[in-house]
Amino acid sequence: MDDTRTVDDAFAPADAAWTRVSPLLARAYRISLAVGTLIGLLVALGLALLPDVPVWLPVSVLVVDAVVTAWASWLIGRRVRSWGYAERADDLLVTSGILVRRLVIVPYGRMQLVDLVAGPVHRWLGITTVQLHTAAATTDARIPGLTPAIAADLRDRLARRGEQRSAGL
Amino acid sequence: MSGQQQDPISFQVVRPGASAPDERGRRRVHPLTPFIQGVRWWPAGIALALTSTVQFKVTVGAGALLVALAVLLAITLMGTGWNYLAWQRLTFWFDADGDLRVDSGVLSRQERRLQLSRLQSVDVLQPLLARIAGLAELRVEVAGAGDSKVSLQFLTLAEANSLRNEIVARSAGVRHDAEEAPENMLAAVPAGDLFLSLLMRAETFVLLLVTGLLIFVTLVTEGTIGLLLLATGGVPLFSIFTQFSRYYEFTVAESPDGLRLRHGLLQKTRQTVPPGRVQAVGFVQPFLWRRKGWVRVRLNVAGASTSAQGSGDQSYTENVLLPVAPWPVALAIVSRVLPGVDIMSIPLVPAPERSRRRAWIQWRQLAVGWDDQVFITRGGRITERWDIVPHARTQSVRVTQGPWQRSLGLASMHVDSTPGAVKISGHHRDADEARRFSQEQADRAARARATDRSLRWVAQQQLAATSSTVSDPATYPPPPMPVVAPVPGALASLLASPVEADPVEPAEAGERD
Repeated sequence: MDDTRTVDDAFAPADAAWTRVSPLLARAYRISLAVGTLIGLLVALGLALLPDVPVWLPVSVLVVDAVVTAWASWLIGRRVRSWGYAERADDLLVTSGILVRRLVIVPYGRMQLVDLVAGPVHRWLGITTVQLHTAAATTDARIPGLTPAIAADLRDRLARRGEQRSAGL
Repeated sequence: MSGQQQDPISFQVVRPGASAPDERGRRRVHPLTPFIQGVRWWPAGIALALTSTVQFKVTVGAGALLVALAVLLAITLMGTGWNYLAWQRLTFWFDADGDLRVDSGVLSRQERRLQLSRLQSVDVLQPLLARIAGLAELRVEVAGAGDSKVSLQFLTLAEANSLRNEIVARSAGVRHDAEEAPENMLAAVPAGDLFLSLLMRAETFVLLLVTGLLIFVTLVTEGTIGLLLLATGGVPLFSIFTQFSRYYEFTVAESPDGLRLRHGLLQKTRQTVPPGRVQAVGFVQPFLWRRKGWVRVRLNVAGASTSAQGSGDQSYTENVLLPVAPWPVALAIVSRVLPGVDIMSIPLVPAPERSRRRAWIQWRQLAVGWDDQVFITRGGRITERWDIVPHARTQSVRVTQGPWQRSLGLASMHVDSTPGAVKISGHHRDADEARRFSQEQADRAARARATDRSLRWVAQQQLAATSSTVSDPATYPPPPMPVVAPVPGALASLLASPVEADPVEPAEAGERD
């Protein structure tokens, strides 16, 4: 996968290459998607078994379920490849998104907390999310799909740099 | 009871020392507090009872009225009793490190320590009921994640004010028995202007529409009796009165510890905005204000809005520096919180013409600009906005691009500030340019952080105020030059300005967090 397919030049870092996240993240997304699809199927089934429900209702639920599943599974691969981060001298760059593309520049000196988060599915797959917090609620800098070793290293590195460059509010 | 030297009849009398410290130096809030907290819900409760009585068309006899009164009394007694326990268990004091400690809680104990070097704001509030009793509430906020706000209900007004001064002084690392800093009135908003300005907003027309619809529907469904329902708080138009009441007699005064804002008709509020703690400033100009040349000034202050989001406290959702003022006044006041910044002279880079296909109303207004201290964005056509963030207060920088924007080669850039009403977004710019400006902004922010000194606000203001050569107390002194080698006497006196030579200098050393 070359980067240019998912991230255009406007979002590329000037002096660093994007570090990509683990493809295992795609599997985590697919599992979530499968659960969602299953719930949709169960709802359709339940509606079909209930009396006094017109036939078109479960059928349309089924159709919506199928369309969403197909569209999302087509998107998942690209979405996972869209995640990337780059550590520069003074700040961390994080990019993501297919439909809505994002790029966040977080100065190390502005980081207040660095969290490692892993839900049950992610833990089972062995991937972790690094979540950065600044004093701004809108910062929204998280990097999912890192193997625990890489994630812990990244966290320690970020925390160390944050301490060195720490500034008050 | 904590040392009460007052007689029970004239407890309203504002008297210093109403809560004398106990043997461990711990203080309590005013003993009237449980009672005031116990009856606080009366207006809302009675209104609710009235409304539901009218709504369900219950005929009320003397017996029912008695029962209602008994219930009211019982709930009040229970509430007061509970609040008495809470009052008994709430103590506050300054610890050995000079930080404010508050222990409280009846069932689960809470011991809080507010690190005053991270102080963001101290407000003195007087809700109507407390005001009648001559009491006030003190709210202290420090920077930090989560709940970093402490409210002391209630103190006598004099005590609240002296505690406020003590907290401000301690946070700045100056002598805490210092007198209250003198102040200098900068601006006052006339009540007529305030009322007119609130009417001349786009919201008013929406509110009028909704109110008209509501009255119509009520008349049709409930008959004229339904109008009584509206009177008890159902009229959306009341929100104009709420705003008017909140910003009534709004004054801005300048003092060495920051700008002091006073306002309120029923609830009196006194806020202190330390200039160095202002995270972002925004100007808002609704369409109809333009002919008057009016503008509203809003602020982001760290901590203030974050902690309010859950509590739904109206006075904290929007931090207003000036509810309405002519442009020159607004600019003069903002120049006190952003010293040395000439907002009007900052060159603006407009969004490209193709952005009209994405934002066909406001595209002409869209622009970003910067100088060596602040970043500014402009936007909005019907309600115009100017949002300003100092480079040193930039948290992070973002670029976003939706599908529609991508098809036009546009992207939006955002400079993230602490949560608040002011959002700094340069919308619909050329994508490459947005990317470049963002990186440049991140670099500018890094440089500004390295040299930023504005956090030490009080010490600086004091330096400026005590120095006879500095005419404008809001002007920050330049950072002192590090003296590497001993300098011959005559040369030293030439180099060192009176500001830097001031002996107060060492006091600020330990204050930086």
